[in-house]
Amino acid sequence: MVAEGALAAGCRFFAGYPITPASEIYEVMMRELPRRGGMALSAPDEISSLCYCVGASLRGLKAMTATSGPGWALMIETLQYALMTETPVVIAVVQRLGPSTGGATQGAQGDVWLTEFATSGGYTIPVFSPSTAAECHDLTIHAFNWSERLRTPVVLLSDKEVGMTTEVVDEEALSPPAVVERERFAGEPPFLTYGFTQPEEVPAFAAVGGEVKVAVTGSAHDQQGRLRKNAPEVIEVLRHLERKIEAHAEEMELARTDLDPAASHLVVSYGITARAARQAVAALRREGVRVSFFQAQTLFPIPRRALEGALAGVENVLVAEENLTGQYRAVLTPYLEGKRVVGINRIGGLIAPGEIVQAVRAAEA
Amino acid sequence: MAENQYLAPDAKLPYCRGCGHAAVVRHLGQALERLQLPRRSIALTTDIGCVGLADSLFPHLHTVHTTHGRSTAFATGMALAEVVLEPGGLKPVVMIGDGGAMIGLLHLVHAAQLNVDITVLLHNNFLFGMTGGQHSALTPLDFATATTPGGNWTPPLDLVALLRAAHAGFLARHLATDAALDATIAEAIAYPGFALVEILELCTAYGTRWNQLTGSKLKEIIARQGYQVGRLEAEAGRPTLRELYRRAPPSRPARAAAPEAEKPMTASPLTAELRLVVAGSAGERVQSAAALFCRAALAAGLYTTQKNDNPVTQGTGFSLAEICLSPRPIEYTGMENPDVVIVASADGWKELQANGTFARCRPETLLLIDAELEAPPAQGRLMRLELRRAASPSRAALAGLAAWLVLSPFLPDAAWQAALATLSADRRAEPSEALRIGRELRADRTGTNP
Repeated sequence: MVAEGALAAGCRFFAGYPITPASEIYEVMMRELPRRGGMALSAPDEISSLCYCVGASLRGLKAMTATSGPGWALMIETLQYALMTETPVVIAVVQRLGPSTGGATQGAQGDVWLTEFATSGGYTIPVFSPSTAAECHDLTIHAFNWSERLRTPVVLLSDKEVGMTTEVVDEEALSPPAVVERERFAGEPPFLTYGFTQPEEVPAFAAVGGEVKVAVTGSAHDQQGRLRKNAPEVIEVLRHLERKIEAHAEEMELARTDLDPAASHLVVSYGITARAARQAVAALRREGVRVSFFQAQTLFPIPRRALEGALAGVENVLVAEENLTGQYRAVLTPYLEGKRVVGINRIGGLIAPGEIVQAVRAAEA
Repeated sequence: MAENQYLAPDAKLPYCRGCGHAAVVRHLGQALERLQLPRRSIALTTDIGCVGLADSLFPHLHTVHTTHGRSTAFATGMALAEVVLEPGGLKPVVMIGDGGAMIGLLHLVHAAQLNVDITVLLHNNFLFGMTGGQHSALTPLDFATATTPGGNWTPPLDLVALLRAAHAGFLARHLATDAALDATIAEAIAYPGFALVEILELCTAYGTRWNQLTGSKLKEIIARQGYQVGRLEAEAGRPTLRELYRRAPPSRPARAAAPEAEKPMTASPLTAELRLVVAGSAGERVQSAAALFCRAALAAGLYTTQKNDNPVTQGTGFSLAEICLSPRPIEYTGMENPDVVIVASADGWKELQANGTFARCRPETLLLIDAELEAPPAQGRLMRLELRRAASPSRAALAGLAAWLVLSPFLPDAAWQAALATLSADRRAEPSEALRIGRELRADRTGTNP
C-alpha cells in the first residue's frame, strides 16, 4: 500500500535494494512503474539508491526509495545532502529489530531516533508513521506532498508488522489527500536556486536540465548556490532550512484522536502499537475507565497542537511503543509537563492490548 | 583565454601553479566549444576535493556539487530520469578525483553496466590533494604520499581495466598536458552512453614535493604500470540505456484482483473475532492455503489479516501463517490466545512449541493436528485428522482449514468458489482437491488436552 500511495502521489522514479521487510515495496515499484512511464531500478547498494533518487528529483521527477534500518544507516549522508540541497525525496523506512543487522523478520519501532536525529546540525526531518495498510497509502501521499511542497526529504516510518501483514483494506476507509506538486520557477532569470525573501519561504524549483541555470550544492552556500564560508547569508540559508519546516509544523500535524472529555488517562501511540492501543482503549471503556487515545501519524515535527488538545484534564500519559527505551516518549516528555508519564515498552514482539490495559489500571491505582 | 561560451572568460583558476586540474578545465571548455551543445544540456557534477572547485568556472552550465565519491551516482540519477523524460538531452559530466573514485567505485561500475549517458573525467593525481596528500587505491607503487612516506606498497587499481570488465562503452586515458585531451573529452561527451576519461596529472602541492617528479617521470610511472594512453578498448557498440530500458521484457501481470469486497458473495455468520494459526513445513503450501482462506473470507464480507513466518532460508523447516478473522476491522494482529491451531507437520509442531503458541492456548482452543503427530503440550480440545495421509503433505494445510470449517461453518461454499476464481485456471485443481478431501475428513480421535 506504500507503493500504491506512491503511485497515486505521482512518483515516477524508484531505486531500491533488497532488504526485509521493505522488499515488497521495491518489487511492486519494479513491476508497476515501468508500465506507467516511470523508471524503477535496482541499485547496487542503498547509498546508490538514494543518490539515484536525489539525482532524478533534481531532474524534476518525484522519487522514492524503501529500506530498513541497516540500509537507512547507509543512506544518511545522502539524506543530509537532500536536505541541504532542498531536494524533495521520500524514503520509506520499514523498521525491524536492531541493532546492526538485527532480526530481519522481527518487528520493532526502534528507529525513531535514528530516523529523526540523522542529520548533522539537528534539522527536522518530517516523519509520518502508519498503523494500517490504509494509512500506508494515505500517509505516503502526505509524505510526497510535504516533500514536494517544502523541498525536503520526508520519511515514511513503517515497521515489519505493518509492512508484511496482509490485510483487507476497505476502500472507503482511505482518505487520500489531493496531490501536491512542487512549485516551479516561472519568473525571469536570473534564477536563484535557493532564493527566498523570508526565511520560512520555500524556494521555487527549477530542474537541472531546464531552461534556467541551476546551481546545486551540498556545501554551505548562499541563495545562488555558491559555496561561501562565514557569510551572514549562508547562516541565513541554514536557518531557513529549519524555518521552512517549523513554519508548517501545525499544518503538517496528522493525528487520530479519540478523546473522552472526562478522561484521566491518555494513551499515546503510533505505528503498529496504535492498533493494540485502540483495542485496549475500547476494552477499558467497556469497563467504565475514562481514557482518551492519541495516535501520532505525524511523528515529526511533533504534533504539539493536537497533543495539547488531547492533554486537557488528563493526569496520566501512557506512551506505548515497541522499543526498549521509549524513544518517542522521550521526545514528547518536554511537552507533558505536569503529567505523570508512563512508558509501555517491549522489544522482540508486539505489545498486546492486555499490556496496555494493565498499565492503565496500574496508573489508576 | 580565447572566447569560450562555456568557460567564464575571466575565470581565475583556483588551483596551485602547475596543477593538472587547470589544464583539464581548459580542455573541457574547448571540448564543449567543439561540440557546440546547448549550454543548458550539460550538468557539471563535481565531487569533493580540488576538482569540486570547477563549478564556478562554468557560469552557464547547470552545476551540481555533491558529496565525496557520490558524484557519479547523482549524475546517474539525473541521466536515469532523462530516459523517461521526453525530450531528453541532458548530459551530466562528472569531475572526480582518484580518492572519490575509490570510495565511489561501485557507482562507477554500475554506471558502466547500465551504459547510462554520463561522462566521467577522472582526475588521477595519485593522492588526496585537498586533505593533505594521502594515498588512494590508484596511487602507483613506490609513490610517496603523506600516508606512504616510504613509498606505496599496494599495487594501484587499474580503473580502466576494471570498467572494461563492467562493459564500459567508452574508455580513454591521457596526461593532463596531452594536446589531444580536449578532442577525447568531446568524443566522450558525444558518446551516447557511459564514458570515462582517466586524466593523469601531478599534484604540485604534495606529489612533486615528495617524489621529485617531472613530466617525463610521470610518463615513466605510467609506463611502469603498463598503462596505455589514448582511446582504449571498450564495448562501443552497446545499446543505449534508453534502448535497453525500453527493450526490457514487460513486467509480469499484476496478481489477480481480490474478489469484489464491496459486494460480498455471501455473508458470513461470524459475529466475533477469531484467531487461527496454521503451521506446517516449508514448500507444503501452508502460507498459500492461508492466503486462499483469507480471500474466501474477504468474499464472505469478513476482514482478515495474515502474517507469515518461516526460517530465513525459505525452502526448508517450518512455515506458518497467523490469521485474524472478524466481521469488523481488525486492530491487534498478534496471537495472544489463538482460537484454532492447525498443525500439518512435525516442523510446524516444533515451531509452535518453540515460539510459545502452544503455551498460549486456552481450554477452549481447538487443536486440529495431523494424526501422526504427538499431542502438543497445549491446553485445548484436541482433534486428530489424517491430513497428510489422506490429503497429501502439500494439501494438508488447506485440508485442515476445510475440515475445521465443516465444524464451524463460517465460510459458505460460494466464498471458496470466489477465492478459487482469483487463481489462474491451471492452478485451481490442487486447492479444489484439498478442499474436497478436507471436508470429508473425520476425526478419528478427539479428546481434551490437559
